[in-house]
Amino acid sequence: MATSAVAEILLRYDDDQERQHFETLFGDDFAIQAFASDQTALDHLASASTLPAAIVLVPDQPDGHLESSLLSEVRDRYPGILKILIGDAIALNLLVTLLDDQLIDRCFEQPVDLDVIRSHVLAAALTREAQSSAPDTREAPEGPSPAILIVDDEPTATRYLSRQLAHMQTEFRVQSAISAEEALLTLRDDGNVAVVMTDQRMPGMHGKELLDELRQSHPTIVRILTSAWGEVDVAMDAVNEGRIFRYQRKPWRADELLNLFRKALAHHRALVAARDSSRSLAEQQFAELRQQRHARLLEHLSDRVDSVTGEPTTADFLDTLTSIRTLPAQPPHLRASRETTLEHDLMRDFVGLVGRQLDNLEPDAPPNPLTRRAFEKALTDALDNPAAASETQTPLMMLCHSLATLLNASGLKGTALEITQAGDHLTVTNTNAFHMYSHLLAPITRLSRPLLEQQTALLMLFVSSRLLAGDIDTDGGDQSLWVSLRLPARAD
Amino acid sequence: MAAGQRRLRLYVTIGQRLLRDSLLFQILLDSEVELVGESETGVATLNHLQAARPTVLLIEENLQDNDGLTIAEHALTMNPSLSVLLISDTPVSNGRMAIYLEAGIKAVVSKDQPIQELIKTLFYIRNGQVYIGNRRQQPEPAAMLAYQALSGREREVAQLMASRLPVRDIAGRLGVSCKTVHSYKDRIFVKLGFERLPELILFMQRHQHGAAE
Repeated sequence: MATSAVAEILLRYDDDQERQHFETLFGDDFAIQAFASDQTALDHLASASTLPAAIVLVPDQPDGHLESSLLSEVRDRYPGILKILIGDAIALNLLVTLLDDQLIDRCFEQPVDLDVIRSHVLAAALTREAQSSAPDTREAPEGPSPAILIVDDEPTATRYLSRQLAHMQTEFRVQSAISAEEALLTLRDDGNVAVVMTDQRMPGMHGKELLDELRQSHPTIVRILTSAWGEVDVAMDAVNEGRIFRYQRKPWRADELLNLFRKALAHHRALVAARDSSRSLAEQQFAELRQQRHARLLEHLSDRVDSVTGEPTTADFLDTLTSIRTLPAQPPHLRASRETTLEHDLMRDFVGLVGRQLDNLEPDAPPNPLTRRAFEKALTDALDNPAAASETQTPLMMLCHSLATLLNASGLKGTALEITQAGDHLTVTNTNAFHMYSHLLAPITRLSRPLLEQQTALLMLFVSSRLLAGDIDTDGGDQSLWVSLRLPARAD
Repeated sequence: MAAGQRRLRLYVTIGQRLLRDSLLFQILLDSEVELVGESETGVATLNHLQAARPTVLLIEENLQDNDGLTIAEHALTMNPSLSVLLISDTPVSNGRMAIYLEAGIKAVVSKDQPIQELIKTLFYIRNGQVYIGNRRQQPEPAAMLAYQALSGREREVAQLMASRLPVRDIAGRLGVSCKTVHSYKDRIFVKLGFERLPELILFMQRHQHGAAE
């Protein structure tokens, strides 16, 4: 969806009153195209230049849409469109069947919560490009056999089913847990669980809660809810919120479940493949962006910065950044770089900030022979008065202000620095790592003042230590940085 | 507490104490919410998150020490089932909203929205659902129209309640039973869409010289 466009809904209605009602409720939020037959709706889709974010059905008789050509066509040809059914009363049978055939993604009973529907549609519209359309029919990969985890507080039924399934096939293992809590422990230990089928009614955490949790913590595990109770509201919540793959009624039949688990495993493989390809694509595309950023920073900074120090300081600084590992690139980082002014602003703001710092530098301050006491006093001043960084600074002040900024950004105090005098040198190292959750060459979703200030401080640390005729040595870690400064100094 | 709902274990990261306290005074009126931790900075949040085990993180986008969104991304890596609500200084565009959603943020509330919107959002996202509120400005007229539609007696009760008179005294002054005052009170809250007395008091005082007179 373009950033300014209104999301579009294709409404399929039977009764004109229903259409009017829907338009009254959602007309301000969405552009609504309404159709009274499947064919006219399909014709519209075929000729439309932009696809709607969602298809909403408000039928007289929801059962009449079990054979809906609109829903099956959309499922097969436009997988990115969200399919929503809204009815006066939804029967569990209908919901189960629609889910089995993947004809709907969400289902609500009247009266609907406007905020909930709006959130579902807008979220689908905004993140549509991120959805994958990886095929559902991949071959099982080599490797340890996947596991199906069955969660039920009645172990006898589960044991019997497990044995039956073990006799029938060798494609998967069956694990069991007697509570949601135990299931979470099993998941921690067994990294090959591909499908979780859980009973709803259990002491402690309910099945629906477990599935909500899994949707976030293990998004590639396929979720199935099972119950002997025909609670349609639970089933509906599980569809809408838990995004379950199927709702399986009890009592279980092994042959039926074998079929279901095979489909679920195929779905799991498709989810894993989609995740992996999206990850590696993001990594690969970000590597290009990182190179561009690196080149542009060098281009815009090295003349100015390196002329102050007389050395290739900018390149050294960028090498240090490269050594700091941050979180891997994800689609939102790429989107931020491509679809917003992030890259441009980053360059402009960082170069501007560095320029102002260098303007404030007192260039001709002779590098007085430094003493430990003078250094400690300058550091205390900088920590006590961070605002003074905007005034004229000697290289020593700049160095101490830079250290103060790096300490502050890591929630550290001056005591995190170890200062030692050895012969004609003072060494300064951080005993706690400087946190660097992000940096100029890392994937960034948003440009912020603390990030720019921290990065400028690091560059100024390089500049000022060179101006003091010292050396700087850095060691990057996981979102962290170790710095060691060696400055010429005489004993107090 | 509704069956199957997990308790809302809240962690709050807001730099300014005044804002943090004001929000918490309102949010903690709800018995389903439990405050499991709070921080002023992003670093402190990441340090305390594992031990506090929150289910919802309420975090400001602009923090003193780090970018709130970057901190939220790290928090989600540590605990993927955390629901994050981001507080932004200004309303976010659709383009930015898409980035936030992809980054795993469940909702964004901006500082120019009413407190009720923030609380509503908090409850929507508690089980990991995305919530995108109505970001078009909806100034007071809804509540104002509702107020004008109150009966004379209801308005009278609303005014007395807003002057913090106890129910017993309102009953005495109007010459009715306490039970009657309670049913007036319930009706007023339903009609105005309020849930708590502070909302009514604020609404009445804010419009004391306007239509609420």
